[in-house]
Amino acid sequence: MAELFLELLSEEIPARLQIDAREKIKLSIEGELRKKEINFQSSKAFSTPKRLVLIIDGMPTKIEQKKKIIKGPKVDAPKAALDGFIKSNNLKKSNVYKKKIEKGEFYFSETSSETIDVLEQLQTIVPRVIQNYSWKKSMKWSSNELSWARPLKSILSLFNNKVINFNFFHLKSENLTFIDGPKDEIVKKVSSFKSYLRLIKSQNIILNQEERKEIIIKKMENICVTKDFEKKFSPKLIEEVVNLVEKPHVIICKFDEIYLKIPQEILIVNMQQHQKYFPLFDNNHKLTNSFLLVANLADKKGYIKIGNQRVIEARFSDAQFFWEKNKTQNLVKQVSKLKNLVFFNELGNFYDRTQRLRKLASIISGQMNLSKEKIEIAASVCKADLISDLVGEYPELQGVMGKYFAKEQGFDDDVALAISDHYLPVGANSPVAKKPISLAVAIIDKIDLLVGFFGIDQKPTSSKDPFALRRTAIGLLRTITENKIKIDLKELINYSIITYEEQNIKFTNKIIFKEVLLFLKERFKNILKDKKIQIDIIDAVITSHRSDDFLVLNEKCQIVHKNINKDVCKDIINSYKRVSNILGEEKANKDEDDFMSPESLLFKKEEEKNLFDKINEIRKYFSSTRNNEKYDLTLKMLAGAKPVADSFFDNVIVNDENLDIKKNRIALLKMFCKTYNNFIDFSKVEGG
Amino acid sequence: MPRKKNKVNPVSFQDTILNLQKFWGNYGCVILQPYDMEVGAGTFHPATTLRSLGPKPWKAAYVQPSRRPTDGRYGKNPNRLQHYYQFQVIIKPSPENIKKIFLKSLSTVGINHQENDIRFVEDDWESPTLGAAGRGWEVWCNGMEITQFTYFQQMASIECKPVSVELTYGLERLCMFTQGKSNIFDLIWNNNGVKYKDIFYQAEKEYSAYNFEFANTESLIKNFNIAEKECKSLLEKNLSLPAYDQCLKASHIFNLLDARGIIGVAERTKFISRIRELTKGVGKNWIESQK
Repeated sequence: MAELFLELLSEEIPARLQIDAREKIKLSIEGELRKKEINFQSSKAFSTPKRLVLIIDGMPTKIEQKKKIIKGPKVDAPKAALDGFIKSNNLKKSNVYKKKIEKGEFYFSETSSETIDVLEQLQTIVPRVIQNYSWKKSMKWSSNELSWARPLKSILSLFNNKVINFNFFHLKSENLTFIDGPKDEIVKKVSSFKSYLRLIKSQNIILNQEERKEIIIKKMENICVTKDFEKKFSPKLIEEVVNLVEKPHVIICKFDEIYLKIPQEILIVNMQQHQKYFPLFDNNHKLTNSFLLVANLADKKGYIKIGNQRVIEARFSDAQFFWEKNKTQNLVKQVSKLKNLVFFNELGNFYDRTQRLRKLASIISGQMNLSKEKIEIAASVCKADLISDLVGEYPELQGVMGKYFAKEQGFDDDVALAISDHYLPVGANSPVAKKPISLAVAIIDKIDLLVGFFGIDQKPTSSKDPFALRRTAIGLLRTITENKIKIDLKELINYSIITYEEQNIKFTNKIIFKEVLLFLKERFKNILKDKKIQIDIIDAVITSHRSDDFLVLNEKCQIVHKNINKDVCKDIINSYKRVSNILGEEKANKDEDDFMSPESLLFKKEEEKNLFDKINEIRKYFSSTRNNEKYDLTLKMLAGAKPVADSFFDNVIVNDENLDIKKNRIALLKMFCKTYNNFIDFSKVEGG
Repeated sequence: MPRKKNKVNPVSFQDTILNLQKFWGNYGCVILQPYDMEVGAGTFHPATTLRSLGPKPWKAAYVQPSRRPTDGRYGKNPNRLQHYYQFQVIIKPSPENIKKIFLKSLSTVGINHQENDIRFVEDDWESPTLGAAGRGWEVWCNGMEITQFTYFQQMASIECKPVSVELTYGLERLCMFTQGKSNIFDLIWNNNGVKYKDIFYQAEKEYSAYNFEFANTESLIKNFNIAEKECKSLLEKNLSLPAYDQCLKASHIFNLLDARGIIGVAERTKFISRIRELTKGVGKNWIESQK
């Protein structure tokens, strides 16, 4: 058994590119080996910023390819096809014969058994795989034609301890690698993966990323245990840091406590995003002035610790300067400065935007029965932090900074919270705004965005959504449904259009309301689909309901979904389908679609009368519960008509000889469907 | 790093420059002097922008005073200046062992990479006004960015072939590190007691006021238009170098207008694309002139 060992040595490759390369190159070599029927026992890929290593173990050095019969092209295919068949399979012409099978007459041939040398195969497989790998971001260097993530320095490529010889652009595969010497790099000959590992170990390099991860986490946890910190680290940052170092050394550092007075989001962004440090929290989850740093070498003289502490303090002192300055800048006064901040060319600046939000605020406060004054204030100042130095420096803290400024300046807590939370949800897993003022501003903010971009026909296409309108729509729907908010979207959207018109913003789209609502419904369908609700139920709910009340749509979907396989739904659908089948036949016979009310004088049978009464009972139910309909009761109500409907069908023949009676019965059935469609369009629901 | 134990004076600002010049001079670089116009970075020196274009090999190193009007802080911020120095190295084609050579250059200014955590952190550089893009890293020393290390992929909207490597040392950052200072103004300029503050503090105060408050925006806009017109007419006469000077002028005027806060987002994009068009023309013209 032999091993395939590949090392691609380069200058430092960014973490995410490294991870992608090590995974994909491994998969691709495995695929090629399988294609050639070359077995292997295990395959592993490792990487450090400079080294990308692949090790495939338990491979045969030779494989016997048994005789087998292979099928070629049709006999009447062009001659080139036959030539190609012979050439690509390395056949002798005399061994090719014709044979008729079901699909026609084809060429066939038996391949001769042969011994394949795996090393030879690898000489084409390995270069092909590395050439076919395409980096998400790549570059050229010097005068070379090769594109790689960062300059590729050498290729070490061994099989069964022999070099797999190939050329790759300006490079040639070898049995050599480079390690850092005290002054220059040292070239080292490598005979096997085992000897390579020894060499790497002597350099204190940990090749295996999983091992590095374990070491880092273990060291960090140890420090936390001994020093009483919370053992909680961002998994995303761990993943990144693991791939930024090859000789991990965890160092605990400190900064001056006075900086803890700065809002902690600023401190955390600086430590995590900018410096790749792990902030430490005490066991009450409070941020402390200690942090962990993962260095790439041991801090023999303590320079690394002092240096990093100085860097973070310099960053904090910068932030503190801005914090002191920004927190005293009155948010209300800042609003007029938003005139200098363009929102979008055709949609005005951010000042215009907040003025529109302010107007929408008064509408939504009425709808939600909230303090008009508070929502208006929140809406006016919710973007004011965008021109602060701190948001300029840390754009990811938009909203959060505004919240802090507002608190410093004595705004009400719920107004302050609305400044940060109106951006919610910020992603699929992010929570939505929860507090009334926050969610009111979140809703009107999203409506203003949707209406604006739809108004100037900057709608998302199937592949592009540069203004993240899909996310905005989903955020809007989630905010409404998860908080169970009753609002009148129609009024809000139409008023939003007016607020744009009042600012003389020219809209090219003349059917904004229709399009926005359709867009929301599409998004809504997707949300429900993601919740594994059957598409036919979603369709039934959405098409029946003419209003824009997504809260109702959502709840109806949920209740039908929950009950679709229970008797209550089965009964409803069963009755409904019986009725609609008859109507369907009748419709096919005559093109008669106008609706007339059934006339009780024309009822000939008791069952007709009973059904009519039942339908009226249901109609009464719907009109009496208009605003507080309980959907489980509705289902029960609808299902309750089954015995009456059954007995109608058992005893009444719709197709009566007397045309008036027949028409009257059809009218009765139409009334039945129409009444049921008050809830959802049951004709769309499958099964029953 | 602080050298408390062996009590050797840290390398002064001016000696850092001299050491780097000597190192890169010995390597074979032409040691040039700063370009005599206002620029935002060492990259704008024609020895980098123009010489990185076309097939001819080129090695140069120089100090470039750099002006970033929006970074002014009236001398109140310990880390930011509207005028500072870069030490720039440009080598075409990029040598294979350039990273090693770079690490050696650090040791000449007092940074030993076996005692300090030198990291190459992904940073793909772009300059919209120059129509330039590169791949490379910020080089960190114990968490502080001290150098920008870039392989040019495109310059003046033209693909770089062969590829140059550009090393841009932030001299103030570098010296803050080697001298162990946390305030730029405390940097030791020479070994006779002159500090950075003695030379530049007043300038920072006055220029910040000029950049943010008093630069006459009307005449700046006029001057921008004049420079643009001049550049175009010089290009018609195939005078790429003087035409390039007009690009630099336009670029600096744009930076001043930006600092005055009178450029909206949309206008910003327009200004930038106007300058990029000019550099693109200059780049083409210069390459032609090299044939």
